[in-house]
This record gives sequence, C-alpha cells and structure tokens, in this order.
Amino acid sequence: MDVYYFTEMPYADFDENEADKYPAMRLTFPNTYFDPKVARDLFKRYLDEYQYAEEVGFDGLMINEHHNTPSCLDVEVNITAGILARITSKAKILMLGNMLPTSDNPPRLAEEIAMVDVISGGRIISGFVRGIGIESWANNTNPVHNRERFEECHDLIIKAWTTPGPFRWEGKHYHYRVVNPWVLPLQQPHPPIWTPGTGSPETIAWASKYRYPYAAFLTPLDVAENLFGLYREYAAADGWEPGPEQFAFMVNCFVADTEEKAQETGKEFIWRMRRPVAGPREYWSPPGYVPLRPPGDASPPRRTRPSSEQTFEELQENYHLVVGTPDTVIKKLRYVKERLGIGSLLLEAQAGRLSHEDTMRSLELMGKEVIPALRD
Amino acid sequence: MTVAFSEEFVEVGGAKVQVLKGGSGDPLLVLHGTGGNPGADRAYVQGLAERFTVYVPSHPGFNTSERPEWLETIADLAFFYTWFLEHTGLEGTRVIGFSMGGWLAAEIAVMCRHAFSKLMLVDAEGIQPTDGELTDIFLIPPAKVAELSFYKPPEGMARREETPELQYIADRNREMSVRLCWKPYMFDPRLPSLLPRIKIPTRIVWGRHDKIAPLNCGELYQAAIPGSELVVVEECGHSPQLEKSEEFVKLAVDFLA
Repeated sequence: MDVYYFTEMPYADFDENEADKYPAMRLTFPNTYFDPKVARDLFKRYLDEYQYAEEVGFDGLMINEHHNTPSCLDVEVNITAGILARITSKAKILMLGNMLPTSDNPPRLAEEIAMVDVISGGRIISGFVRGIGIESWANNTNPVHNRERFEECHDLIIKAWTTPGPFRWEGKHYHYRVVNPWVLPLQQPHPPIWTPGTGSPETIAWASKYRYPYAAFLTPLDVAENLFGLYREYAAADGWEPGPEQFAFMVNCFVADTEEKAQETGKEFIWRMRRPVAGPREYWSPPGYVPLRPPGDASPPRRTRPSSEQTFEELQENYHLVVGTPDTVIKKLRYVKERLGIGSLLLEAQAGRLSHEDTMRSLELMGKEVIPALRD
Repeated sequence: MTVAFSEEFVEVGGAKVQVLKGGSGDPLLVLHGTGGNPGADRAYVQGLAERFTVYVPSHPGFNTSERPEWLETIADLAFFYTWFLEHTGLEGTRVIGFSMGGWLAAEIAVMCRHAFSKLMLVDAEGIQPTDGELTDIFLIPPAKVAELSFYKPPEGMARREETPELQYIADRNREMSVRLCWKPYMFDPRLPSLLPRIKIPTRIVWGRHDKIAPLNCGELYQAAIPGSELVVVEECGHSPQLEKSEEFVKLAVDFLA
C-alpha cells in the first residue's frame, strides 16, 4: 500500500466568521481578506512540510488546485509539482489534478506535465479532474460543456504524448493546426493517469474504460464501497478485474502522542470541514454541471450528510477524519484499507488551523509508526 | 372565454420543436425567455390571441423541443429561426420577444431583413448596460430570480414546480439557457453595432424597476434602432406581461395592430 501526504494549503489567518457575511467562503468571498505576506510564510511552511513528509517515509506527495478560495492556496498544480520536483527526490508527485474542462490550451498542459515529469525524473502521476462546479464560475467555462471538454482535452493530451507530431486537431472545443510539443514525458508512454470523484457514475465509467485508478474523496465508507463496486462492475463487463492499485481513498488524518492531545488538536481540522465545503447550490452545481436525469430515473449514490453539518465525533465515526495515537490510527486505517480494498491511501494530514509544530510531529509519527504498519 | 390553443411539432434544422398556436387574425410570433414556453393559459397570451393568431414555439432545447447538436449559441438560435420562419411560412410576421427572447428577436431582425414586419422587445437581454449590470440569474437560486423579476412579487412565487415532470422541464430550460447565454453573460458585443440595420417599426417596452435587465438596456436599444420608441411601464419589474398584464396587452395590440 502506498501512502500519500496531502494538504490543500489553507489560508486560515482571518476571522472565519467574516465568511458568514457572504454567500460562501468561496468564489465571491472578497480577496481583501488576503495578505500576501501571510501567504509567503504559509507557502514556505507548506513546502517545508511536503519535504519533511518525503523524508519521514511517505510514498507520495499529493497536490491539488482550486480558485477563489482561502481553503486552497495552491492555484496551479503544475507550478507546485515543478517546485516539488526540485525540493524532493524520491516521492511520487500526485497531481489531483489538472482541471481539464477549464483549460483552453490542452497542448500547453501536455507540455507542462511532460516538463515536470522530466524534471522530477519520472515521478509524476497526472491526475485529471473535472473541477468542482465553482471552478466553472471562477474560470467562466460553460458548465454544460464540462464533461465533453474534459473528455476532449484528455484525448488531445494523450494523443500529444503518444502520437509523433506534428498532427492537426479539429475537435468540438479545441482546434490546433500544429500539435507538436517538443518536451515529452520521461515515463513512457506517459505518466500514470488518475481521476477522483465523489459520486458521479459517468466519471467511474470513464475511469474504468481507460483503466485509470479512481480516488474517492471524503465520501462515507459505504459510498466509497458503492463507487468502487460500480468500477468493478464496469471493469467486469469489459473483461478485466481491477486490483487494489486501481483504488485510492482520501481521509483527513492526525496523529499525536496521546489520545487527549489527538482529540483536542484534531479539532483544528473542523475549519476545513465547515465553510470551505458549504455554500449555495448554484455555486457548487451550476446548471448543466450535473447531467439532468428525467423523472423516474434512479439517482446516483449521493453523500449522506455534508461534512459541514457533522459534529467532530460524527466526522470521526464516518471516517472523514481519523485522529489518535499511532495505535488507534493504524487500527482505523487498516480497517479502511481492508474494507475498501484500496492500494493507495491519501492522507490529508494538514488542514484547517493545524499548526506547523503539530503537523510536523504528526508526520513524524506517521512515518515512524503508521506507514510501516500499513505496509504489512 | 378561453381561446383554445393547439400543440404541434415542427421539424426544422434537425430538430422537432413544440409550437403552441391559438387565436385568430394576423400571425404573431411570441419568443419566450429563459423560463421557457409560458403556455396558453397566461392572461397576456389569451389577450393577444383575441386579436392575433399567436404562435408560441418552445425554442430548441426548451420544454419538449429537441435541440439539434449544432445549436449552442443565441446566434445559432437566430439562424434556426430564420429557417423556422421560412419553413412555416411565417416570414414577415409580427413578433414579441421577452427577455432572452427579446435578445433573440433582435438577433433575427439584424440577421434577416424580411424576417419580421414589426418588432416588439420587452425587457430584452442581449445588450450590455453602460449603467448597472445584467443580473446573473444563474448564480442565484431560481426563487430569488422569481422575486427579483417583479416590482411587487406576488405571493407564493418562489415554490418549486408542482410535479417532478414540471420540475424536470424547469431544470432543462435553465440548463439550455446556460448553454446559450453563459459567455459573455446574456449579451452579444456585436449587437449595438448591428441594430441600426433594423428598418421595421419597433416598440421597446420596459418595466421601470427591472432588476434583471436595467432600463438602461432599453434606452440603449432605443438609441441604436432607428425610429424605435421606448415605452416605460411604471411600478413594474422585468415582466410587464405578468405584472401589468392588461396594460401590456394594450401596448402590444396598439402597436402591432
């Protein structure tokens, strides 16, 4: 089993109650609350923590990207990947990922990912994502076209990596006279592709079709089971059987020396579970982002209750958040691993207001005790 | 007495579209807004049908009309309607366009000089205001859009549709509106330069207190279309046909007759 370290690089240095004056702490939350000097220190800190995660034994470093939100300072995974490529040397760099539908320039994306793959010595895992609904607003890309742009952008990038150039591309959304990126990936035929999801059956069908690993993000365990089950069904229909390496699960995780400390300091994760995932339906799901289902059609599996409405205890019971001493956390994560049959565990081990000191100690304990135990 | 409407489907440009037709007299085409086909029961539709043979098509992708694969923008929709008018023998008809349908009517008029004989735009989108903004109706809940559409919102406006089937149509209409109007949001930057091409009698009707498309848009339309007149309806929001139904029908019939 591979264990990845992840942080969204939150910017929590303001009174979060200010967000209640606005529809959400995303998209339209004014950037007048942003201070670049604070961000400078945060970037340094978060990048140091990524370096340390590699040092203590994480197999991979996961990064992501969002826009118009204090919950995620990382606004360009390829920039972060480029930095990690130079400040680390062994860990895989899991980008989850580049938002394909909002990209107007797939050949450039293909070049950027190839470049960081080369610089990192072939350590890139190239995740492709649709982007949450809010990204359609922030990037002003028509949500009705989200899935078709996702698929066409993917097809063009893969072709750019695998078909000798130059070639022409005349699609529906993308048009290029000459696709001929000079820089190609070190990993051949191209870096591994992953895709995440929280419930859309179309995404699972797509991932299974290409045999791409699928990562369930912060879903209840039963929902993740259903999603992985659906993936296995699609695969079986295509005549293959996915192993654990096809499945990843993301969970927030904090380890401390005592249960008391873990339970007390673990509350810093609540920041991440509340306002950053709340907000109007129109923000999260603009019309067209989710395909319309005619009346009578079975609804796809959905999350039970949003994490923003769950207590600290419920977040733990539902495995959105695993906190405790190494022994407790090992027990819980083994349960997750066995129940879901996953090959990769994505630990969001810094979130919300968790301090640098607590993050570093938690990473240290994970590296010394938790990760070795999960390999058995 | 209620004027009976029939429902038929017309196949044009690769799609079957729903058309409601009723009344008697000269033909009058009604182009709906983002909310979709108003249906035959609305007081203003009935009022118009007493004087005209009223055609109320559901735009491709709205209500029960199909969307042809090629149709993605308001300009595409205007092309569709030039074909629709030719196919149905309605070229040279009078037309009323409401909100997004007003934008559409203006696009058709600048695209094809014999499409219409008289043009009436009601709180039309399509033009970027120089004072104020077009309210982004996709970024706020439908209930809030309904509320903003009126000077005095009537009771019970903000409910969801009564049946899953009607809710599905409402969601479909909203999705198709997003497809057509996402970027630039609800306007065509070319339009002010093209509007001077319109040489037919044009009446622009606007609710004084329109909080969706500000009156400034009406003034810009009026300034750009030669010989057009702007009629402002007092104590009225984005939908004079609903909020001031009788006054609206009179304004329409006086101009179109």
